[in-house]
Amino acid sequence: MKDIAYIDLKQCILQDNEDIANEVRDLTKEKKFFLWNIMSSPGAGKTTFILDVISRLNGKYSIGVIEGDIESTIDAEKMHRLGVPTVQLRTGGDCHLDAAMIKKALENLPLEELDIVIVENIGNLVCPAEFDLGADLPSMLLSVPEGDDKAIKYPLMFSVCDALMVTKIDALGLFEFDFDALEKNTRKINDNLRIFPLSAKTGKGMEVFIEWLCKKINSKKETF
Amino acid sequence: MHELPITKSIFKSVIAKAESVGAKSVRMVALEIGVLRDFIPEFVQKYWNYITPGSIAEGSVIQIKEIDATASCGKCGTIYRIDTKNIQDSKCPECGYDYGTLITGRELKIVGIEIESCKEDKVDK
Repeated sequence: MKDIAYIDLKQCILQDNEDIANEVRDLTKEKKFFLWNIMSSPGAGKTTFILDVISRLNGKYSIGVIEGDIESTIDAEKMHRLGVPTVQLRTGGDCHLDAAMIKKALENLPLEELDIVIVENIGNLVCPAEFDLGADLPSMLLSVPEGDDKAIKYPLMFSVCDALMVTKIDALGLFEFDFDALEKNTRKINDNLRIFPLSAKTGKGMEVFIEWLCKKINSKKETF
Repeated sequence: MHELPITKSIFKSVIAKAESVGAKSVRMVALEIGVLRDFIPEFVQKYWNYITPGSIAEGSVIQIKEIDATASCGKCGTIYRIDTKNIQDSKCPECGYDYGTLITGRELKIVGIEIESCKEDKVDK
């Protein structure tokens, strides 16, 4: 005879990911490094931005990179050319990185020697926002050509980030991009988001961002 | 598309729980999903039907309760609903302030499961 029962779970669907993200957080404290997750749509300029950040922080901090791509190793090769320890994650179709992938990648970096590990997430404004990686700084890039209305279209992504770097401001003359509209749209859902207009190509705005980033990194260092 | 990895996670948790209580089969899975997750319920069921054959969850139904997006006003703290189709016009209904911080709308929760067991088997809730 059959019997029917209802069982309460009240469990986060991504509990596995949350648990591993917490393990990653613990690892960042144990090995004393700052984990920075950079998300964006494809072509927003993540690699160019990261390369510029690395060159600006050269000599000040020791940096490692985790490159996420669906296919190819092109970006990782660019990092390698700078002599930066890099791990390439090729997801083979998956449109995001998750905490388990990051944990595995971190095993392949010389963490004892690193101050910062930068994660270049898969280019996608939807899925990467759903997976906590255990990062100290979840952040995103939005490029000027993408438009100022993306927060309305992809609110989850804008809601999980602490910093928004608006890239390619050197192209502002070519596009109708309204910073006031961008700020208005993002602050509807994330009033704490820090917005940095910049261009990795011309360097405009980079110093302001780097100064803020260094403060974030140093404030974590002080807790070690 | 982004529903697929999430549906796989649901499957893993549901099977683990159902097996731990000695279920013979799973009939229903109740979820709470925030509207900002942009989940299409039909897709979740479709992927579920793709993943579950051969398991004790085969043939089960996914029930999704959508959770509204709400924000806390940056000025007076009032919690108000955000119309996700019209985020640009949302504002605090009490003080009229434009900006807020998201409170709900990002939920991803398995609330419970309905299982079938043989009567002689004890179901440990």
